[in-house]
Amino acid sequence: MNPPADNRRLVPAYLATTGRARPSRNTLDRLTVLHGASDPATVSGLRPEETRLLELLRGGALSLAEAAAHLRLPVSVVKVLVADLVDAGRLMARAPIPDAELPERQILEKVLNGLRTLKSS
Amino acid sequence: MTEIPVALLVTLSVGTAAAVALALLLARSMREARRLRQRSAVAEKDLQDAMRHQAALATRAQAVEAEVRHLAAARIPDLAAALAHPNVPVRGVADPAFRGTELDRSLASVLDQVGDAVTKERLRVDGAAQSAMRGATTTIQALLYQLQTRLQTMQERYDDPFVAEDLLGADFLNEQAIRRIQATAIVCGAWPGLTRQNSHMGDVVVGAMSRLVGYARVQVTNQLRDPVGIVARAVEPVAVALTELMANALHYSHPELPVAVTIQQGNRGASIIVDDAGVGMHGEEMERAQRMITGEEVLLLTELGDPPRTGLATVGQLVKQYGFTTSIETSPYGGVRAIVHIPGETLLTLLDEEEQPMSPMAPVPRGSASTAAPAPPHGQPAARPEPAYGETVQLGAVQDPAADAAPPVRPVAGPAPSATGPAHAAPRVQDPGGPAHGSGPAVPDGGDALPRRRRRHPVPEASLDATAAVSPEPAPHGATSAPQAPQPTAHPQASPEESAERWAAFQRGTASGRAAVDEAAGPGPSHPHADPRSAEGNPQE
Repeated sequence: MNPPADNRRLVPAYLATTGRARPSRNTLDRLTVLHGASDPATVSGLRPEETRLLELLRGGALSLAEAAAHLRLPVSVVKVLVADLVDAGRLMARAPIPDAELPERQILEKVLNGLRTLKSS
Repeated sequence: MTEIPVALLVTLSVGTAAAVALALLLARSMREARRLRQRSAVAEKDLQDAMRHQAALATRAQAVEAEVRHLAAARIPDLAAALAHPNVPVRGVADPAFRGTELDRSLASVLDQVGDAVTKERLRVDGAAQSAMRGATTTIQALLYQLQTRLQTMQERYDDPFVAEDLLGADFLNEQAIRRIQATAIVCGAWPGLTRQNSHMGDVVVGAMSRLVGYARVQVTNQLRDPVGIVARAVEPVAVALTELMANALHYSHPELPVAVTIQQGNRGASIIVDDAGVGMHGEEMERAQRMITGEEVLLLTELGDPPRTGLATVGQLVKQYGFTTSIETSPYGGVRAIVHIPGETLLTLLDEEEQPMSPMAPVPRGSASTAAPAPPHGQPAARPEPAYGETVQLGAVQDPAADAAPPVRPVAGPAPSATGPAHAAPRVQDPGGPAHGSGPAVPDGGDALPRRRRRHPVPEASLDATAAVSPEPAPHGATSAPQAPQPTAHPQASPEESAERWAAFQRGTASGRAAVDEAAGPGPSHPHADPRSAEGNPQE
């Protein structure tokens, strides 16, 4: 009867930041780890999306990209939200933990060659 | 001598005879004359009558002529004006003597026929204009939706703040363009052009607001008790109607005044109330607006003014087609209050917030206390006044019959039932220290007829500490919960929760392993957070 339902978004992303996409600090990137400030006492006076972000982080730390995925918002918009909340002292952001040092490529190739010779012999 | 008397006699007799004859003649002629006189008198009278009659006829002919002139000069222009502006009166016959006569009736029928012809022609022309507009708007609207998709993809793709900001700006402009085109299309008899999924009312209101310049002035309050949503077919119509009502509220109030929007739940449906404190409407405007939004009148483009004011006409068209109602009255704030009432039986449904979460921008309903207050201490998950609302609404379609029918599963065993708090959290995980409210969706109460709100509950810090205290070593923690997971397979109805739980257990295992590494390497705070993240965030994937 009805035409097929459209999955088109109903609420656009610019609503979260009233159109801003330039965060107040440029230290944030997709892998920045976010966690709520230790004192979650006052949640009043926040916009819904900020409340939702803090609620999301109350359970634990998330990277900025993960938070954006949970909120289903573009990363650029979430950066602005996060920067605002960090400025207000409600959120902590720290740089991502770097990956552990990987073994060098040459060594890996040597191991691979060794394994192949083992298999063929 | 004798001859003389004879002659005299003869003469006398002749004379006598002549006299007699003459007398007779005279008498006759006198009679004749009398008759003639009489006849001439009659003729004269007739003549006078005829003269009078002729004069009367002449007067009448003049009067009729004047009447026809009056018809052409005054009554038909009156009629033309009255067809455009129904409050203009059409004058009657000029001469009161003609009132009710045959002439009056025939002139009236002339007016009727002219009126009919003009009306038909206007409808035809308007219909042609409307269909031309529809053709154009349909195409443009489809293109704008494609542009919207493109812009949205670009927003996801580009992180550069300057590009992102421009994209957001472009998106907003596009949204306004869609709104205009859509309203015009609807006034011209098109459908809204889009069917959405069942959507939360908060999302619909916020989505409607996002299409307007000055949306920052709109303050939305959500007073819903249940996760009420609008069924798919009515989402876009309601959103469009709300957009237009909010646009009026924003346009007719000072650019610094807020516009208050309240979402309310009633016994037989839900209402959205738009209040502004603007200039308001006087009586006639109010009457016209009320007529427009009922959608009962035949809508003509030519009656909407230049440029056409489509707002209320759009609302009227949608109300007529989709079965919700709107009303307008004077607001207690001094401006105008518009109320959109959505009947529950036909157009509302309950939505599962786990399956279909609300947009983060939508205002949080009053019913969910968990976000308004900080997490309560351990053992008391955020107080949810569900049972108190047991008598709430009779809503039409129940969205989630499975959840409705599923019996609440109580904790079967487990060393620490006392630590799990109130039973309505219904923990399934037989995890010694597992916080009840962290384990995915809460199963509704058995006595509750309707499926209830399921919010993800944040895990309080205290309970996490308890977790750490009961099972200090992370590895057995995951190991104990994993084998117990298949236990609830006895309840075939609950398979989604079951699998969610199984995955959660798996996640917990891996997460606690990671947490152990993290503890060794990184700072302290990340340790307790790693666990609930997996339990909370994962099942919905």
